[in-house]
Amino acid sequence: MPTAAEITEPLVREYITRAVRDVFKTMLGRDSAFVGAVVQPEDDGMSPPHPGPATGMIPFVVGTVGFLGDVNGLIYLYLDEPFARLCTCHLLGMTETELEEAGDEVINDAIGELTNMTVGGFKNGLCDAGFPCKLTIPSILRGSNFSIEPVSSATRHTYNYESAGHKIVADILLKIGD
Amino acid sequence: MRYKILTVDDSKTVRIIVRKAFKSYDCEILEAGNGVEGLAIAAKDSPDLILLDVTMPVMDGVEMLTKLKADPQLKAIPVIMLTAEGGRDNVLKIAKIGVRDYLVKPFKEEALIEKAGRVIDLKPLSEQPTKAKSIFDPADILIVEDKPAIVQQIQEGLKHTPWKFHGVSTQGEALDYCAKTPPDLVLMSLSLPEEAAFTLFRVMRTNVKTKYTPIFALVVKTEVGQQQQAQTVGFSALITKPIEISELESKIAKAMNLDTSQRYFALEPGFLVMRLPENCSPSVLAEVANYLKPKFSEAVDAGHTRMVIDIHQLKTLHMGVIKLLLQTMQTCRELTLQFALVGNHQIVTECKGFEDTRNWQFYDSIDDAKANLGKATAAPQLATA
Repeated sequence: MPTAAEITEPLVREYITRAVRDVFKTMLGRDSAFVGAVVQPEDDGMSPPHPGPATGMIPFVVGTVGFLGDVNGLIYLYLDEPFARLCTCHLLGMTETELEEAGDEVINDAIGELTNMTVGGFKNGLCDAGFPCKLTIPSILRGSNFSIEPVSSATRHTYNYESAGHKIVADILLKIGD
Repeated sequence: MRYKILTVDDSKTVRIIVRKAFKSYDCEILEAGNGVEGLAIAAKDSPDLILLDVTMPVMDGVEMLTKLKADPQLKAIPVIMLTAEGGRDNVLKIAKIGVRDYLVKPFKEEALIEKAGRVIDLKPLSEQPTKAKSIFDPADILIVEDKPAIVQQIQEGLKHTPWKFHGVSTQGEALDYCAKTPPDLVLMSLSLPEEAAFTLFRVMRTNVKTKYTPIFALVVKTEVGQQQQAQTVGFSALITKPIEISELESKIAKAMNLDTSQRYFALEPGFLVMRLPENCSPSVLAEVANYLKPKFSEAVDAGHTRMVIDIHQLKTLHMGVIKLLLQTMQTCRELTLQFALVGNHQIVTECKGFEDTRNWQFYDSIDDAKANLGKATAAPQLATA
């Protein structure tokens, strides 16, 4: 039986980076490069999680999918709105005009699915490492100038990626079950 | 038969991607947003394949699969899981309920088509704009041959055609090429090392993109065993080495179902013109004979009453040609079409030697024939045999 200590930050980084890379390459034909991380300090279960990504005034589309089981958690995938629109057009084979007519609902669904696949890839890594868990249904946050505050008992790691000039942020909140 | 594929996924995005993936294939896509809807559509429409997600609201994929397999009416419907749930234990648990295959998201559309193609006999839509229709349309032909001289001979011999030939020497290169641009036809040498041609043939026949592509075996004339083996496994045709280029051209055109009639027939203002080539092999004669009836119909429908039979390119006369010409003339008479022959000195001389042809009258050029047929409106006997 694996222990919680086995889910180290490098392992989390490896799983999420692989998941982001696979999803953006397979579904969108785009390379994504890891550009940096803000991680919870080691051996520090007491201090509160670090502040998550700040969106500033730029509108963002944020997909969220959770996983429940031996490890519980949530992953937020941040995409700026122009990039979210670009990804949706590519995924669905639509033009920008068609997307405009189809409305935000289509973008929400597409980004929700990209997040589902990304979190699925991450979670499958955990499952294979001996932490079985299941995915939850995706949801979407939209807007600008907002931040997400987790409960203090969660561990937070934030990873930044870049794909053709666009920023992708994977914000991971983890709670390891007793 | 038009196959029905049911995609059960709460994500409209995935359902659109599935629809997009199958749009070039002859199948109908049904959609459901959760397990309850999926079971209802499965019972109503009896799909030939179900693509099933796991995490969905109302009823998830595992519950739907369990209910499906417990229903005697529905349990035979093959299911491919298409889901982000891909951990080893999850896959094993779901596989035990009874699924035909498992595809973990993210996925490539080609991978989905390939897996679906293993379960149902997916056929590309016939109205593909890229496919050649006549001998004047371009086509991509892949030659899998490790002897460059053979590739060169084919490319050189058929350079007068609009077909593009691409030569590769190994199985791997052939598969890479087919994955990128599925060819219209494949010429495959049976002399590749370690019977690679037979392995490649089997792989191509299991791939939905090349399942119906004509594949010719290139085989040495004396290798009777290999020829029998090729016929047994189902190669579309055998081309023996040394290669007879005209035979190869004719077989390629036939296999690609090309309309070659324009090679022999033309509807010119006021006239139907039939031209025979320099060498009239039995396959050429059969091809021309097949087009006779439809071409005559076309000409008569268009109001044509005159025909020029041009055999000035023909090198030598033989019984096959004489029979075809007699058949053509007889049809002209039945349809009251006036006709005239155009020939060369050799042919005119040879015609004197046969009872059936000794009275045939020839003109030196098509223009002469047309001019005299014009006059013949007043004197219809002029150009009859």
